[in-house]
Amino acid sequence: MAFDPNNVMQDRITDIGPPSYDKFFPPIIKENFGKWKYHEILEPGVLMHVAESGAALYSVRVGSARLISTEYIREVCAIADKFCDGHMRWTTRNNIEFLVSDKAKLAPLLSDLRGRGSWFPIGGTGNSITNIVHTQGWAHCHTPAIDASGVVKAVMDELFDYFGSHKLPAQVRIALACCLNMCGAVHCSDISILGVHRKPPFVENERVQNVCEIPLVIAACPTAAIKPKKFGERKSVEINNSRCMFCGNCYTMCPALPLADAEGDGIALWVGGKVSNVKSAPMFSKLAVPYIPNEPPRWPTTVQTIKTIVEAYAAGGRRYERVGEWINRIGWERFFEKTGLEFAHEHIDDYRLAMTTWRTTTQFKF
Amino acid sequence: MNEEAKDKIIEYVKQQKKSKLYFNDLCKAVPEIKMMQAKKVVNELISEGKLKYWSSGSTTMYMLPSEGDVAKEEEGMN
Amino acid sequence: MALKHATPMLDELEKGPWPSFVSDVKRLAAKGNLMCEDWLGLMELSFKEKEGHWKHGGIVGVFGYGGGVIGRYCDRPDLFPNVAHFHTMRVNQPASKYYNSDVLRKICDLWDAKGSGLTNMHGSTGDIVLLGTTTDQLEPIFYELTHDLKMDLGGSGSNLRSPEGCLGMSRCEWACINTQDIIYDLTQEFQDALHRPMFPYKFKFKSSGCPMDCVAAIARADCSIIGTWRDDIRIDQEAVKGYVGGEIVPHGGAGGPRKDFDIKAEVIDLCPTKCMAFDGKTLKIENSDCVRCMHCIRVMPRALRPGVDTGATILLGAKAPILEGAQLSSVVIPFIKMESPYTEFKEFVEKLWDYWMENGKNRERLGELIQRQGLRELLKAVELEPDPRMVNTPRYNPYIFYDPEKVPGGWEHDATEYRKRHQA
Repeated sequence: MAFDPNNVMQDRITDIGPPSYDKFFPPIIKENFGKWKYHEILEPGVLMHVAESGAALYSVRVGSARLISTEYIREVCAIADKFCDGHMRWTTRNNIEFLVSDKAKLAPLLSDLRGRGSWFPIGGTGNSITNIVHTQGWAHCHTPAIDASGVVKAVMDELFDYFGSHKLPAQVRIALACCLNMCGAVHCSDISILGVHRKPPFVENERVQNVCEIPLVIAACPTAAIKPKKFGERKSVEINNSRCMFCGNCYTMCPALPLADAEGDGIALWVGGKVSNVKSAPMFSKLAVPYIPNEPPRWPTTVQTIKTIVEAYAAGGRRYERVGEWINRIGWERFFEKTGLEFAHEHIDDYRLAMTTWRTTTQFKF
Repeated sequence: MNEEAKDKIIEYVKQQKKSKLYFNDLCKAVPEIKMMQAKKVVNELISEGKLKYWSSGSTTMYMLPSEGDVAKEEEGMN
Repeated sequence: MALKHATPMLDELEKGPWPSFVSDVKRLAAKGNLMCEDWLGLMELSFKEKEGHWKHGGIVGVFGYGGGVIGRYCDRPDLFPNVAHFHTMRVNQPASKYYNSDVLRKICDLWDAKGSGLTNMHGSTGDIVLLGTTTDQLEPIFYELTHDLKMDLGGSGSNLRSPEGCLGMSRCEWACINTQDIIYDLTQEFQDALHRPMFPYKFKFKSSGCPMDCVAAIARADCSIIGTWRDDIRIDQEAVKGYVGGEIVPHGGAGGPRKDFDIKAEVIDLCPTKCMAFDGKTLKIENSDCVRCMHCIRVMPRALRPGVDTGATILLGAKAPILEGAQLSSVVIPFIKMESPYTEFKEFVEKLWDYWMENGKNRERLGELIQRQGLRELLKAVELEPDPRMVNTPRYNPYIFYDPEKVPGGWEHDATEYRKRHQA
């Protein structure tokens, strides 16, 4: 039965959930599920997984933009049809993996991918800088301080050589969130790019009463910085700017409280976070640069600052040492020295638990 | 019992000054039942079209179907 | 064919070796996709002005669901009428994102016909994100999604969000639990919580098969399910010799095709608990001292493997910074067997949600509630006993909230008897 716009409840299906995880498995994965023995990265971007049965699966990892069109997805499908019996998967970090069980198909697949211009860069494995996880930015979000896809493209262009090689001490994970709500949860990445607003919302007193419900706007503020205020005969609100933490929740409830500002908004960079439990425990990313202006279309200052950090790490990090482990070994004073980044008031925490981050020992380096 | 709870919730929503309420605001209308039970009652109100959802993307609220919406009003202005 | 809007700034992002989203969207626009044309124009305006141009609109959705659709309106419909309405639909992905070309083409057909043709593969939480459609298309899309593609919407708002796991046993030798089955099972079990919000705020499950935590469960999930083991690391001494002798590439090739492997410097000395020794022939591990960090296993994957008494560590409360600051998840169940149908775990979840719903404030994540009320209240609510594995260190302040039930006579004093002993 076709959809009937006059009767949306007819034949309605709900709560079926996603397809089962194994619905689209290639046969080799069905057959060897839970019976994998070891893996090896044959070259950057090419993984071989060997099962107890001796069967081998080759996965070719390519970077993608995350913001992709149906045209692009159709091209991915065509490649998968040609070499992989239609099978592929996506990774958590927006990479695509083409899966082949016949080694004879591997070289033709690689050469086909390389022949398609810049659409399918091969890499993102081992001690590389893999794809950046990111949020929507100006493409589709209502509270962003920066764009996401544009910054990611510019950064990956500059770090491209690290994507397709294994020459770093360990893997480097970069993440971007376009405001501090962090839909992209960038708080535990080796390098985090964070969009920041520096101006609290302004109040359009003429409009508030028409387009907003004042009790809801007040309730939306997580720091209780918004109070009702009369503006002549009109009901409006006032904002205690010193309590604003730039989350944009009030703008979500009330479009008469805009906070985007070309000169106020920009980027903060954070370093040294990790998620894995390997060697050291998971760590948060810490502030490296409090503010860099928005510089579309290619954000040169942000890109160059990230490159400086990566190169300092590449030069100083020991094998297996993540960015945060390298910094912990050399000390933060050395990190700022080696990267040439300025240490400023913003680097010293003044929020809750700030004291736990202050130096309470005479041990430090001159 | 569900019918009684439904009436109480709708009455409560109508009395409020604000048009959108959180789930635990709705539960205040029926303190005698457990929240999981209240959830079922609210589900029924939604499926009967007596309440509707409003979502900020990160949080969800409930409102009467007769209530307008900021975005709709803005659209009208354009 | 010239596009409707000139995009000199965006065009700069067509340069360089990384795939360009601008070139990609342009080729769809060039096929006559009006939404893409106007979307490019709007992006160019944002690049020029350094400000976004989207407004929130929160009433859109499909009937009966409180999540899965994010309302979005452009604030310059005068200039870009084709993206005046540009709502997002989240489609719940199959756990760990395996597809075939058939199903993806069907999604493309659907989205070309009824949406903008723009997508995210995938959103940060894991969903397939379909970017940009109009309100009148939501129900037809949902109908086609459920009837023809056998797919459903994902979570948004104060819902259970679409759970996600690492690829687990499908392609990884280290998976200690069947992450994909756990995620699929929980997603199906809790469909109502996923589509019909009832929580104070969002709630996320993520499951990684081992402590390397490839889905960042410990940083991103209110409930992190991380595979582990409690017996001994399995050792293949012959393969150890292979690594030491330079016959097998170390670290599974992650550091390139090296021949200079040094087991002492690269494994023994880097073990966080120094529980390993190598005498030139045999590798020994004092397993009772091992904290299962995975370093030795990942460096010598053909010689070392996790044990066989496997299960999961359950940790709670991770979240991004808003509001009380970022939190990592904390251990509450050091070890639990995770075998289908996961009854014990689900009972734990029900108790957990009861506690959070009863006690959580609006927009308070579970981690913040635990921080506000203390881990003790949580443990009582979910009926777990304290364990040193739950803390990095015991408290170092003396402000202990003693339980009156454990003090003889409770908090009552006998005033008369006291004054018999002490003059006022």
